[in-house]
Amino acid sequence: MTLPLIYNLRNLAVRKLSTGLTLAVVAVVVFMLVVLLAYAVGIRETLSANGSPLNLVVLKPGATAESTSILRQVEWIRAVQTPGIGQGAAGELLVSYELCVQTNINRKGTDKLAYVAVRGVDPVAFQVHPEIRIVEGRDLQTGELECIVGKAARAHFEGLEVGKSLVMGRVGNHAYKIVGVVESNGGSLESEILASRAAITNSFNRQFISSIAARLSDPGQVDAALEYLNGPSVALDARTERRYFADLSARMLDIVKITSVLVVIMGIGAAFAVANTLYAAVDGRRREIAMLRTIGFSRKDILTSFVFESALIGAAGATVGLLGGLWFDGYRQDYLSDQTWSVLAFEMKVTPEIVLFASFVAIFVAVVGALAPALRASRVQVIEALRKA
Amino acid sequence: MGLKAAYLLRNLLRNPLRTLLTCAAVGLPIMIFVLSVAAVDGIERFLNNSAKQLRLAVTHKAGVVNNLPFGHRAKIEGLDPERKHILGVCAVLWIGGKIPNDSRQLSSLGADADTFVDMFPEYHLTAEQIEHWRRDKMAIIVGPGTARQFNWQDGDRLTIRPSVPPYEPIEFRAIVPTGDVPDPTTNWFRRDYWEDRIAGTSAVPGWINFFFVRCASMADIDKYRVEIDRIFARTPDETNTLDEKTFMNQFISQQFDLPRNLTILSMVTVFVAIMAAANTMSMNFRDRIGEYATLKSMGFGRRTIFGLVQSEAMVLCGAGGVLGAALPYVLFTFTPLRNFTVPLIQTLIIRESVCVAGVGIAMLIGVIASIWPSILAFRLHVVAALRNLE
Repeated sequence: MTLPLIYNLRNLAVRKLSTGLTLAVVAVVVFMLVVLLAYAVGIRETLSANGSPLNLVVLKPGATAESTSILRQVEWIRAVQTPGIGQGAAGELLVSYELCVQTNINRKGTDKLAYVAVRGVDPVAFQVHPEIRIVEGRDLQTGELECIVGKAARAHFEGLEVGKSLVMGRVGNHAYKIVGVVESNGGSLESEILASRAAITNSFNRQFISSIAARLSDPGQVDAALEYLNGPSVALDARTERRYFADLSARMLDIVKITSVLVVIMGIGAAFAVANTLYAAVDGRRREIAMLRTIGFSRKDILTSFVFESALIGAAGATVGLLGGLWFDGYRQDYLSDQTWSVLAFEMKVTPEIVLFASFVAIFVAVVGALAPALRASRVQVIEALRKA
Repeated sequence: MGLKAAYLLRNLLRNPLRTLLTCAAVGLPIMIFVLSVAAVDGIERFLNNSAKQLRLAVTHKAGVVNNLPFGHRAKIEGLDPERKHILGVCAVLWIGGKIPNDSRQLSSLGADADTFVDMFPEYHLTAEQIEHWRRDKMAIIVGPGTARQFNWQDGDRLTIRPSVPPYEPIEFRAIVPTGDVPDPTTNWFRRDYWEDRIAGTSAVPGWINFFFVRCASMADIDKYRVEIDRIFARTPDETNTLDEKTFMNQFISQQFDLPRNLTILSMVTVFVAIMAAANTMSMNFRDRIGEYATLKSMGFGRRTIFGLVQSEAMVLCGAGGVLGAALPYVLFTFTPLRNFTVPLIQTLIIRESVCVAGVGIAMLIGVIASIWPSILAFRLHVVAALRNLE
């Protein structure tokens, strides 16, 4: 025999103020947790969306990212002999030599400059990164001073609409016509501006490339390719694309992790608040509990009922906190990596996993906070409690 | 007074479990508050020092990754040949770097040996250390936080592998500042040594990332911020000149905007603590309606009752605040946790003033949380309350 749900609900309603305040504490913890996780997931998903199992990223050993990597022609040319390199439709090797620079553009609606990554690529890059799709306008035309912009970049930064001109370059006198907008499965390329490598090399006065992106014909070739590129004959720093972006996101998420620790401490504080409320409820309901025991409810029923009552507060708090957190779903943010020195534009994402995890945390906090008071409730001495009635 | 204090203490000890749980529910948010404020305080001190130093930062107009020629220094100095307004110019080159076989990223910068000491007086180098810097090309002034992390002492030889060409390990000899440094993470080495070491490698000599320009007054800051960009306009290497605080802040605000987000977090924690404390105070009031009525019937005034409820909440939350502030202070000052690294500020220094503020906030939480119960106690109708007594 278990106590009916309505009994718990009415008990919560009787102590409106206590219930409301405890619920508010849990809701705030859930809200903060959801916002932080949505931020972290936004960064991680944006970076991991680039991670094709077939692709390798090759940098100069010692460089932290593409922006600090400098590869001379004598070094990059050796990559063409990498075992397992795939071939494109016309038989060309799927090796993309890429030059990463940056340009300053205002964030939309503000006068705050952001360092936006500019990637100089050859036509083969679109086969090496097949996830890049033109969603508006057209592709780059060889020999023209044109660029295409990522979808996130267009949404986040000023003046990146198709048809407009973007002045870039070391001297800042090369006006690139924006001819298209690209998507890349939500990946970091959507935060960038892409243009012809020859044009970017000229505009920024560079005589080198930053990185090599190589696409293998089969994932089974990864080990051999890495061994060749990292080995003495090439002596570069090659990693799978997934590994490269995982390394980048790990560094970017350091700050989020530290802030998360603070939210965990807040969660512990919430558990104490729940325990406090429940202890007060137990003390105020001793006679009632004794009466329940007298009419046949077991200690286990009493314990379960109190834990359940607390879980209800947790669930209600989770709902309120989640509703607040969901407001941030899709909220645009950017992050300046101290490794790439360019901003990653991304959307905060409240995923079903976050909803489940935050709900679990709320109910867990409520249940943990309720355990000791519920145990006390289940041990109420019937005779003694009734005598005081 | 003694009677009231005794009554207060008895009340707190009447339900030790409730007192303990409330202390914990208030103390933990205060702990977060202290940690958050300490982190923001570290960043603010860093930025305020930048503002105080009357320095300009000159970068390439196309972005900080684009280098500037070292030759710009002479042109900037040429704006004030008598050195009345521009007190010095220091070229800076970022190399980042890592210790071999260690994944931790360093922040290492090369600076002009002749102007560094006057440009950055906040490093408080001793006469001996300045002499070392001027005499020894291999000298590197190590951020005290970084030195603690790697256990580097004055005079230690250390090897850094730069994150820029030629990417080859370079040996340095450490100078560790002893005083409080606004930026405890950055290492400064001599740029002339760097130029020697990169000769004959793939690295291109004579290029730097930015210049710091020390001015004599705020008026000079405003004047030369415009003037420097003007002289390089329409050259192959145009500049973007900002005051140092704005320059530094643009990096910080783009990296999770830690100061803003931690401030929001600390405000939210205070809100949580108010909710938790308000809950306890309302429960206490409910439990003691009869008691307050009895006190009133015995002649205690409404204001006294109001004060008692307020004082109890203040003491209770204050005790939680003391615990919440003392714990991080002790942990981050006297235990190995003081070497714990925080992005942007590296070492978390918890100042006594922040702890005192934490306790003050906790007491304020008590006052706010008990406003409603104290008003109810103030207005309590004696006869009605006593009638309800069992």
